[in-house]
Amino acid sequence: MSTLDATGEAARRPFPGRRARTGDVLLQGVAGLAALGAVVLLGLLAYKIVDGARLSLSTFGLGFLVHVGWDPVHSHFGAGGFLFGTAVTSIGALILATPLALGIALFLTELAPRWIRGPVTALVETLAAIPSVVIGLWGILVLGPVLHDHVMPALHSTLGFIPLFGPSTTGSTIFTAILVLTIMILPIVSSISRELFLGVPPELKEAALGLGTTRWEMVRGVVLPHTRGGVAAAMILGLGRAVGEAIAVAQVIGAFNNGISWNLFSSGNTLAAQIALEYQSAETKLDVSSLFYLGLILLVFSLVVNLLARMVVRRVARRQGVPAR
Amino acid sequence: MPRTGKLVRITLALAAAGLVAALAVTSAGAAGKRSTGTLKGAGSTLIAPALAVWQPMYGRDSLQYSAIGSGGGIQAISQRTVDFGASDAPMTKSQGEGCNGCVQIPWALTATSPVVNIPGVGAHQLKLTGTVLANIYLGTITKWNDPAIKALNKGLKLPNLSITPVHRSDGSGDTYVFTNYLSKVSKPWKTKVGNATTVSWPTGIGGKGNAGVAAAVSANSGSIGYVSIFYVIQNHLNLARLKNASGNYELPTIASIEASAQLVNSGRIPANNKISITNPPKSKKYANAYPLATFTYVIVPKTSPKAGELKAFITWALGSKAQASIKKYVFAPMPGSVVKAGKKTLATLHS
Repeated sequence: MSTLDATGEAARRPFPGRRARTGDVLLQGVAGLAALGAVVLLGLLAYKIVDGARLSLSTFGLGFLVHVGWDPVHSHFGAGGFLFGTAVTSIGALILATPLALGIALFLTELAPRWIRGPVTALVETLAAIPSVVIGLWGILVLGPVLHDHVMPALHSTLGFIPLFGPSTTGSTIFTAILVLTIMILPIVSSISRELFLGVPPELKEAALGLGTTRWEMVRGVVLPHTRGGVAAAMILGLGRAVGEAIAVAQVIGAFNNGISWNLFSSGNTLAAQIALEYQSAETKLDVSSLFYLGLILLVFSLVVNLLARMVVRRVARRQGVPAR
Repeated sequence: MPRTGKLVRITLALAAAGLVAALAVTSAGAAGKRSTGTLKGAGSTLIAPALAVWQPMYGRDSLQYSAIGSGGGIQAISQRTVDFGASDAPMTKSQGEGCNGCVQIPWALTATSPVVNIPGVGAHQLKLTGTVLANIYLGTITKWNDPAIKALNKGLKLPNLSITPVHRSDGSGDTYVFTNYLSKVSKPWKTKVGNATTVSWPTGIGGKGNAGVAAAVSANSGSIGYVSIFYVIQNHLNLARLKNASGNYELPTIASIEASAQLVNSGRIPANNKISITNPPKSKKYANAYPLATFTYVIVPKTSPKAGELKAFITWALGSKAQASIKKYVFAPMPGSVVKAGKKTLATLHS
């Protein structure tokens, strides 16, 4: 940002030519190298992961994606269970976090008294700064037992006819992981949404209010449509965070690799958590290679998520005739 | 003028930062490969309390150890980023090949042990057999008031509560010992699951590290787990008594672990020092043996510039003074024959 400032100033206030040029050349060189470095690093990383996964790719092929189980003793590995766990936990977290985050953002931009906005914003953003391992620890020691003793039995007895809310035996479940992830992505989605809501031109809001709409109609008719693309992108960013989270999930999900279940109150595992748990103890070449294969799936997934976010933003922006942010 | 100054300063700062980072990376790389007088080790968490005792005794400046887990220790010594690795499980064939000329030497004797959290069951009251333990972890026994458990615990009030078996979710020497024992006492376990540092658990939940298993056990009523014995002692966990082949229910103590280790005196120790002492057979000698005892290993390269220092340190660690100093963490003294075999292997190290 400050470099932009500097060049902008330079254009307005001419300098003795040579000094400015040395500075420009230097800046161009350093910045260019940094950008090139990032691209090269990504390329090398992708190459290394594909290279590492080669043995597993040739052994299991695409069947790896659907096989459920991780058995180092009999050298049979599959990502099916982890893919399922990753999808269920991250989408579940997104479903819970989005309305909450939008509520927080609306409260902080439109509804809250002015003196309360600063402190609450700061607190919500502090939530993002809590190390995931700490949230995981809280999840296993506090959240898990509370859910197991009170929340899960209540949900099971009232909504038990839905297969998602089956019987529970422990506090280390997919449901616990969903809640932990919800807490982790909440500040991301809410702080981006807050920025977006702040960016809605006040003229539009005032015009709507001037037409006699209620505050809720103004929010529904002006604020939300105006920021739809940005909010969608924020959700996808949150999804990316949830998909990639390893440590906190590994602590609370119960690390059960041997089957999948629609019961949210049973244990499971995710791609990222399995890599974090298993990489140090992988013994055979095939085991290590299969972990790389899991990494490859994660890499492809995050690439897709990023592209999707861009597409959504662009499409919504085009429909609204607003340039994409 | 001040603006160009700023621009130049920014670029200079960026360049300087890059330079510092590059230097840091190269020097870290160099430090990892070639260390000076200090012996660096990494691996098993089971042996970590012993090394914490040994470090001030042997000399604070000549020894460093990071407890990153047995698997990590084998990887670290394979890449030669440390001078010695430590593992509770002996190296597998592929690990041995990957380590490129390493030897393993048993250097401490301890145990892993089942712990439980059952409402109404007091400290160290529950009795289990290997078969029942295997069936719990196989998922064929699912309630604490199962007839098979009740039959072993007459007079104990066992609740109608689901059993949650807790295992290590990371690869671990404890898992190796535990599954080694279950494979010996249960045919279904041996064929279905097997013996390794990570296995495919038929049921239950995982916890990361001893701490993760202990946390999961204490957080879930009705759960059972297995943790290193020093961790049980430190955290006052509720042990289950295990029936040995002679029919006695044993807790892990110095005496019961030492009794198991007598197993090595009857057989000969293989050249690779791979010894399993779980589930000693029925005999008067092993009447009070604890069936989940284990040796833990130090892994060193045969050829290393620090062969001299390594020999001196491991010889010292095998000595009676070092072995006696770790008794308080329930490390039993090693049998003479194992020490002898270890020293024989040690003699093959050279620079």
